[in-house]
Amino acid sequence: MLVAAMSAVVQAAGLDFPQTLKEIHAPVDAKVVTAGFEFTNRTDKPVQVVKYDAACSCMALKIKDSKLRYAPGESGMLRADFEMGNFSGTVDKVVALWLDDDPADKPSVKLTVRVHIPVLVSLEPKTLKWELNGDGGPQTIRITMNHDSPIRVVSVNSSSAAFQHELKTIEDGKLYELIVKPVEIGSPGLGILRIETDCTLARHRLQQAFAVVRKPTPGEAAAKP
Amino acid sequence: MKVLGQLAVIAAFALAAAGGTWWIKGPPLRTLACDPASLKADEVCLQQIPADAGVLWVDARPRGEWLRNGVEGSVLWNLDPAEDMQAFEAEVAVRIVDTPRVIVYCGDESCGVSRQVAERIRALGLGAEVSVLFGGWRSLSEAGRVRGSSPNP
Repeated sequence: MLVAAMSAVVQAAGLDFPQTLKEIHAPVDAKVVTAGFEFTNRTDKPVQVVKYDAACSCMALKIKDSKLRYAPGESGMLRADFEMGNFSGTVDKVVALWLDDDPADKPSVKLTVRVHIPVLVSLEPKTLKWELNGDGGPQTIRITMNHDSPIRVVSVNSSSAAFQHELKTIEDGKLYELIVKPVEIGSPGLGILRIETDCTLARHRLQQAFAVVRKPTPGEAAAKP
Repeated sequence: MKVLGQLAVIAAFALAAAGGTWWIKGPPLRTLACDPASLKADEVCLQQIPADAGVLWVDARPRGEWLRNGVEGSVLWNLDPAEDMQAFEAEVAVRIVDTPRVIVYCGDESCGVSRQVAERIRALGLGAEVSVLFGGWRSLSEAGRVRGSSPNP
């Protein structure tokens, strides 16, 4: 009897979420994606949602009917609207819920919205590296368009005169090569290459790659034969 | 009634033991403790990083918080879609050339943004050594290493 009484105290707070991770594959042109998290109070006491927060202005949260107190057995739904802005790739956004008397730094519940946003313009590699006083030969970035309709490279600009570049069209609207070469290899330097495309979707239009001349890091130096 | 009596006795014993511990050992330690032996592979404890170490600090919190009480000399890189991710990339890339040791922090030990930002910095392929700070901004604040803070005694 005593054990039962104590265990009831231990279970007194909490909402049961069948899914704490929601993965969403966003359409190419989506601006907002929505995830819904269902929950149920499976304890024998009412549970109060004190606060919920996503720590990001990009995430709007709403609990169905703005209901914050749940009797035993009652269910509810938290809806998270994620505004994707200029993201691409995979992004995790965490939503925290504070229940009853949770401390401010320890919410009872953490939910994750994992959004996969298509990468329409891919650069491989994103960074070209030359070793200081090493071989200063040209290197290539492949620019691949992963879209139904063609995407063309409109211009390439470098932030630094220390690197020369040349754009080659391999397949118009589909595949390009950007050939980059440092002007001199005797001093460290960084160039930021801005690649502008005619993609109609703003967040994919402008891409960025890097060219760097530097000393190898201790790890890279140790890995050399 | 008997159960309530037993509960009262247990509670009285627990209270006496807690009071004794407080009296002998002092109040509980409320500062963040970081044990290097139990860190994840990409994490570091603040005590492993001397205050004058050549580190590029990356603040993964919202811009307002970074401006208010970030580490002096830190750069911002959060995952707010309203921000310009390419500007973050460019700023960090420029700074990595001179400071290839990067540590990312977010709000506290339960924040996951710093790990995602660290992944993005590694993906730049600039050869930087990138870690996540255990305890995040909270541990920096307790050590007096952010704007407007002083070390906890």
